[in-house]
Amino acid sequence: MFFGKKKKNDSRKKQTEPLPPSSQKKEMPEQASDKTQKSETISETTKTFIQDMSERVLSPADLVVRNVSEKITIMFVDNLIKEDILNLKLLPALQNIMDESPETIISQLPLPQINETSKMSECVDVMLTGAVVIHVEGHDCAILVIIPARESRGLTSPENESQVIGSQVGFNESLSTNISLVRRYIANPNLGNEKFKVGKQTNTALSVMYIKGIVAEQNVNTIRQRIEALDIQDIIDSTELSELLDDNKLSFFPQMLTTERPDRFCDGLLNGKVGILVDGSSMAILCPYSFIEFFQSREDKNLRWPIATFLRLLRFVAILISIFLTPLYVGALTFHYEVIPQSLLVPLSESRARVPFPPILEALFLELIMELLREAGARLPTKIGQTIGIVGGIVLGTAAVQAGITSNILIIIVALCALSSFITPSYMMGNVIRIVRFPIIIMAGFWGFYGIMLAFCILLIHLLRLTSLGAPYLSPFYPPRIRSWGDSIIRFPYRLTVRKSATTRVDGAEFSSNQDGQKNDGNVKE
Amino acid sequence: MKKLIIVIAFTFILSGCAEQKILENISLTTLVGYELEDGGELTSTAVIRQINQDLESRVEIQSASAITSKWARTKIDLKTSKITGSGQLRVVLFGEKLAKEGLDHNLHILKMNAEVSNAIYLAIVEGDIKELLEYKYKNITDIGQHIYQLIKQNIEHHHALSSTLHEVNRDKYSLVKSYALPVIKKEGENIIITGMALFKDSKIVGQITADDTMYIMMIRERTHNGTLQLELPDSALDGLADKPFDQLAIALDTIDSKPILKLVDPSVPEFDLTIKLECRLREINADIIVDTPEKIKKVEEEINQKIESELTRIIKYSQEVNSDIFNFGERFRARVRNVIVDKEKWYELYPQMKVNIKVESQIVRDGVFQ
Amino acid sequence: MKNKLQIGTNEMFNAHLLFFIICASQVGVGVHGFQAVIYQYAKHDAWISIIISFLVAYLSVFMSLKLLELYESDDIFGINLDLFGKYIGNFINLILVMYSGLAFFAIIRNYTDVINAWVFPDLKPSFIMITLMILVLYAFTAGLRTIIGICFFSFLLGLWIPIALIIPLNYANVNFLLPVLSADLVGLLKGAYYMTFTVAGFEVIHTLYPFIKEKEKAKKYVSLGLFFTMFLYLFVMIVTLTFFSGEQLERTIWATLSLFSNIRLPFLERVELITVCFWMIIILPNLCLYAWSAFRGMKRMANISEMKFILGMFLIIFIGSFFIETRSEIYDFNNKFGYIAFVIVLFYPMVLYLIALIKKSVSKRRAGKE
Repeated sequence: MFFGKKKKNDSRKKQTEPLPPSSQKKEMPEQASDKTQKSETISETTKTFIQDMSERVLSPADLVVRNVSEKITIMFVDNLIKEDILNLKLLPALQNIMDESPETIISQLPLPQINETSKMSECVDVMLTGAVVIHVEGHDCAILVIIPARESRGLTSPENESQVIGSQVGFNESLSTNISLVRRYIANPNLGNEKFKVGKQTNTALSVMYIKGIVAEQNVNTIRQRIEALDIQDIIDSTELSELLDDNKLSFFPQMLTTERPDRFCDGLLNGKVGILVDGSSMAILCPYSFIEFFQSREDKNLRWPIATFLRLLRFVAILISIFLTPLYVGALTFHYEVIPQSLLVPLSESRARVPFPPILEALFLELIMELLREAGARLPTKIGQTIGIVGGIVLGTAAVQAGITSNILIIIVALCALSSFITPSYMMGNVIRIVRFPIIIMAGFWGFYGIMLAFCILLIHLLRLTSLGAPYLSPFYPPRIRSWGDSIIRFPYRLTVRKSATTRVDGAEFSSNQDGQKNDGNVKE
Repeated sequence: MKKLIIVIAFTFILSGCAEQKILENISLTTLVGYELEDGGELTSTAVIRQINQDLESRVEIQSASAITSKWARTKIDLKTSKITGSGQLRVVLFGEKLAKEGLDHNLHILKMNAEVSNAIYLAIVEGDIKELLEYKYKNITDIGQHIYQLIKQNIEHHHALSSTLHEVNRDKYSLVKSYALPVIKKEGENIIITGMALFKDSKIVGQITADDTMYIMMIRERTHNGTLQLELPDSALDGLADKPFDQLAIALDTIDSKPILKLVDPSVPEFDLTIKLECRLREINADIIVDTPEKIKKVEEEINQKIESELTRIIKYSQEVNSDIFNFGERFRARVRNVIVDKEKWYELYPQMKVNIKVESQIVRDGVFQ
Repeated sequence: MKNKLQIGTNEMFNAHLLFFIICASQVGVGVHGFQAVIYQYAKHDAWISIIISFLVAYLSVFMSLKLLELYESDDIFGINLDLFGKYIGNFINLILVMYSGLAFFAIIRNYTDVINAWVFPDLKPSFIMITLMILVLYAFTAGLRTIIGICFFSFLLGLWIPIALIIPLNYANVNFLLPVLSADLVGLLKGAYYMTFTVAGFEVIHTLYPFIKEKEKAKKYVSLGLFFTMFLYLFVMIVTLTFFSGEQLERTIWATLSLFSNIRLPFLERVELITVCFWMIIILPNLCLYAWSAFRGMKRMANISEMKFILGMFLIIFIGSFFIETRSEIYDFNNKFGYIAFVIVLFYPMVLYLIALIKKSVSKRRAGKE
């Protein structure tokens, strides 16, 4: 972040290396896990085949092997496949088949997804994602019948992003359900869907979605390159992925949006963003996102434009309050008492008189308590959660004032700041707003308003430096695109706004991203 | 290499710690009074607001004498538990003796101090400052705040001329070098504003009553929402009443006035001053019924005459003491070209100045009951 | 033309951003206290001096742009090398680099002084300089795009300042401006000369020109920027002239900041404290642009890395700050720098343009002969 120029080049350099061809990539897991060189070919004898497969998956207890008939054997991992389809469709079909050869089986099985393979690694991989492997004696190929069990949580309303008006369905952990939700919103043949697998140990499936024609091709290419260049062991949640794919990994601020709502996801896709869905995670990723877009909610488009404008402005003001109110309090009380108006002076000083600490310690102490309350509240089971909230909020606060540890004006300020930071529609950004406040309080405590101004300038420069997938983080404010201002911190009626967001303008971009990682500055080439 | 720089930079940064002025560790001085003592020393009396832990804020009066005001303040610090801070200073009072000696020096040091705001009010005290401030008034708890509000609301309602540090300083350094400060005095349980003190060359030279302040404002600038009480001569408005009466007084308010100044003769100098004012007839004797336009016109004529005579009287008085608080000097300089007009010249010219005053009043409304 | 710069399209910026760059680079520390200096010579016609100064500046900019157009896509360092050959060209480039460094120093030193005078009297100047330099370092290493972004935001965020300055107009006394044109031409010209320190800033266009995408629109936006700054300064000057009386203004070192001292908002008392701290974001673009210009010049002469250069520059400036510590030394330095700025910013481009024209016509004639 600080002198991060080098690091930026490094991450971009990765993209210029020749990409490993996909076949090599698929071989890598196998080479890493096996100690001895195993042949890729499938043996013709079923017994050897079964032995091979069991060794490769380390003979787990839930591996099921069944001889359907003399020549046909099936293998699958229990709980990964749909039992009823296996029992009702596959087994009877296999048992009634006349000619026991792979071609007949493939043509006669009444199931949609059937593949044939002659590679062991593919068998293992596909079996582990929910397929039945059929081996016919005497043939060196295997048939994969893909019938994964899609057990997942039922569709519920999103936990972390609620809206008053709008659809109340949220993503769940199953990739296919999520994709189906997206397809329901966007029934468009141009909806692209590319599958990848990341994580050496987990082989998590992920899906990159975009709408061809609206999205900028270079963004899709960048995402593709970055995913393929990923060299990690595991991925459990998509938010880890978003940090790994970021332009500036060291920054406080997220450059990709994570959302639980399909309507928000589709809105992003329709605005030219690239979306990533990760299997096993209910959060979807959208990129590129600019700073101001983190403070826009889907609901703004559902409401009428004066209300939406008011809410957006309110959010903007709330962010400013949240970041700067406590530092201003600390700064004014520690160094600049002349700024306080006369009417506030007496209540302020009276409430401060009993506190034994200087204002900075008092403020930090209270902010810390606030964060403790919040973290604890997030982990508590729902039954106790509410009580602790009331206990913490009211009792602690009043008791603290009466004990003389803090002043009641500061409690109001801290509570206001905390409330304002919840107003962000994006949870990730809300966290950042909370954390950013602390260094500014410390600066204010040491150097008053000068310190606050320094912190503000550093923040501004940092935001100006950030890019999200190459697009400037502070657009549409900088580089200024006045036509897009109608949809930034205000919302003008539809007739007046440019529908596509400013970060994904394809043509005439002022500072287009440089694919080969050159620094955006004048280079003298003589 | 990078680490070395960071280390050096941090050592330098850590060496920069600003002095903390934590609010509750400072005793806030809201009002200061300066008086000259016999030995040439300056007595500073400070009204300090003390914040205590028992949530009871008291107001403390401290005073000390020294030649410079800063040393007097240091002496006060020697007496108080918290250091004094003048960031919240609102009013500065000067004693009569100091006013007679000259306020130049004190005004200058107030201006030099970056902590003191430019919008503090200045006033003169008639009588003893210490007595005024230290007396335990029945109805006043915070004397600093009280005097501040007293001066402020009177200025806002045009009963006193605005005497902020900035305006006084501005007039002091302008051509006329004269300004006016309100005079306050202790009367029993109250503090009242008795009038304005006229200054020339930073020394007090005259005094006018509070009633005349409105007239000064009318000549100086446009006024808005002012009030006047006029005592008309007996002969006036005879034709309007059914029975004769002894004294006639009327009150006007919501006065909007505008002065129009024309330089007629630069050599004398002679001005033509026309004051147009619109007002509301607030109070008039019940026997007089003002219902026809002719009657209103008659009342207006009487008002004109009265105001003209009052204005002439006041201008004459200021000419006698040679304190141009109406700013005629600047207006003169603005209208003549190629004439070097400086302070000395204006001191000579001002007493000879002639002003032909004409007042054009217009009664817009006269209450809800005739 | 040899030594031409090759710059890719994705490193260029749009011409309309020039407006913000010019405005942000011109408004710096000069605007704090330029009024008193000009008033000394031009008296209350100081606003006319501003107009004269801007006319000269506009002429200089016009010629600069024409000169840069002649060379199509080169900055002033390349032009120097082309016109004067390697040795003298490099020598002049070195002078320009040193000028940028000197300008950087002037801004940072003046701002440090203002902070010490108004906000933190006991904060070490070296601390303020180091923190500001860290800020510039952070912005500088991010590239031109970030620096222009800072210009843009500095402009937007600073728009409240002229709006706030409408409040002192309450106290305005138009007589202070009259009579017009009573100062003689010499006084006016001298006032215009002393305005150079405040007007300078637009010379960064000499190094920025190759990076502009639509070069034909450059003229329009630069002119707009200059006009805007001119009106801004005129506005500030007129507010100052009507607010302070003559001699009072002469004694007020930082007139603009003293103007803020009179603004009273219901929730804030001393607005000038906040203004002074806020000024940091107004000088940040100036500092970054000068550092960047100096780096571009240095890079032409010797291939040096960014970090080394900027740290070296900071070190020199930091050491230099130990030589200029007191208020009077800063005043002297400002005057000397004003002289250098006058030559380099206003005078030098005109001379350069004439020389380039001559060279071009000579080479054309030569080409025509062959």
